[in-house]
Amino acid sequence: MSARGHSCPHSGPVTLLAVALLCVLLLTAATSPEAAAVPADGSDDGMPVLRRAAAAENQVAYSAVREMTGPHGPGGHVLRVRVVNRPGDGIALAPLGEEEDALVVRSSSALESLDERLLHMLQDTYSVSDAGLADLDGREARVVEAARADGTLAGRFWVDTDTGLLLGRTVYEATGAPAFSVRLSDLALGEGSWPEGRVGDEPWGDALTGTERAELRDGGWPLPEHLTWNLRLVDARSTKLAGNRVVHAVYSDGLSQVSVFTQRGKLDTKHSPALRNGYTGTGAGGSGVPTQHDTIFGGDTGQYQSMWQADGFVYTVLADAPAGLASSAVTALPDPGGSGFWARVHRGLARLGFL
Amino acid sequence: MSSEHLGERLSALVDGELGPAEHESALIHLARCESCRFEADLMRRLKRRLHGLCEPEPDADFMGRLAGLSRDPATAGRGPTEPPPGGAGFGAGPPLGLSRPLGGFPGGHHPASAPPESGAAPHRPQRAARPERHRPERLAHLLPAFPGGRYAVAGFAVASVLIGSAFVAGGDTEETPVVQPRLSDYAVEHAVTSRHLPVAHPQPKATELPYGTTEANR
Repeated sequence: MSARGHSCPHSGPVTLLAVALLCVLLLTAATSPEAAAVPADGSDDGMPVLRRAAAAENQVAYSAVREMTGPHGPGGHVLRVRVVNRPGDGIALAPLGEEEDALVVRSSSALESLDERLLHMLQDTYSVSDAGLADLDGREARVVEAARADGTLAGRFWVDTDTGLLLGRTVYEATGAPAFSVRLSDLALGEGSWPEGRVGDEPWGDALTGTERAELRDGGWPLPEHLTWNLRLVDARSTKLAGNRVVHAVYSDGLSQVSVFTQRGKLDTKHSPALRNGYTGTGAGGSGVPTQHDTIFGGDTGQYQSMWQADGFVYTVLADAPAGLASSAVTALPDPGGSGFWARVHRGLARLGFL
Repeated sequence: MSSEHLGERLSALVDGELGPAEHESALIHLARCESCRFEADLMRRLKRRLHGLCEPEPDADFMGRLAGLSRDPATAGRGPTEPPPGGAGFGAGPPLGLSRPLGGFPGGHHPASAPPESGAAPHRPQRAARPERHRPERLAHLLPAFPGGRYAVAGFAVASVLIGSAFVAGGDTEETPVVQPRLSDYAVEHAVTSRHLPVAHPQPKATELPYGTTEANR
């Protein structure tokens, strides 16, 4: 007679159906949508070759022309950069013909540490194998290949057998098409024309430890450890520009590098976030702010840039990565949302910690 | 049968408790006695009411008589439309037989739910407000086919509060400063950590945006 004793006659089948649906959802979630979206196993016998190449940058002085090509290959846009490497001082980079305006990157323990973490990421993400010898512009090179879990090629390196210098590398899209390539030509060993008098630059000095990153997250800063399954945080730094704190987070899979700059605030109204689905793009090199962000752009040399505002923060992404990976990185960050009711509710839920 | 009125036998007659002979004599008496006949009729109606039978509304004459009994000297000075002080008096509540009997109505149905007869009781008083303790019964009557109805209502209330709070929290904060990202500094920092020069000139040109050929659709 009590209400407790009364039960719906359909509760049994409904419960079974709910459990079945839950199982299906869990199985679906547990199944990777792509066979390549998992770390690749392998002997990684190519890693010693790449570690030698990283060490050679700090030991061998040389000058060369670095040619950067995008997905269109040598037939497309090619950026040629004069490279002068002087161990102990750093590396000078300047577009051909503009050597007086070289960007000097000073040698630092921070960069050496970053290189080591990038190599770890490469080993963790891909199967790195020694693919034998090859001839590259008349120089004998050892070829190292990075393969995804499904066996497709993600990257290829050419390491000079004599000096250990990295002569070239190519990063491939998931489709197998080359995304961008870097190749050294006109290699000359020995100290070249070093831009004397230039102070040079180093990474921002305030490296964020794990504790500091956690404190930032507690303060509402979006600083994820992963952007995608293979884009992991390998470095985080902070500085103050115009009185505002800016956090630079570097994400990488070992082959590509994505920089995410985050600062509190919102864009000026002239950079209306209502345009183009709320995104605002930047011109390459940081000049101008064209209206766009549902598409990121650049790409001729494998570099992509994008800027937008979301939930009280302004994001700027600069990526040396395949287009698909760069887009995934942008998508993984908070989107600008909209001005509608549900967009505001979603934003509020995120601020309240429910999302 | 004597000329005496039926008295208590009238009640037994209505209840069908008389023997065949007494029943016959009682009927004969009723045929001759208008007073007993009226009283028997009244008792039958009352009995039907009490048993919750679908009996039409009492006639106006009967109701008028009952209402006349309720007029006492304390309320005689008021107008006919003025309610008595301190709540409803006799006649303001449900008519006799329409109130809730002890133990509830059979089958949970209230006889007042039957459609009223038009013009049957022009001076029929308004029913008093139903006591609060009847409401759960009414809800249970409304939600018999959905046992989780109460939980659904509670869930809906919680969701409404949550959405409202999120809407308020999702508003623009006035203290958010307008910033202009130092893109050139970002480009240098990125170039330092990647040791790659950024593209010297914007690609594509701003005039080609947003759907230039060099875009990479997300």
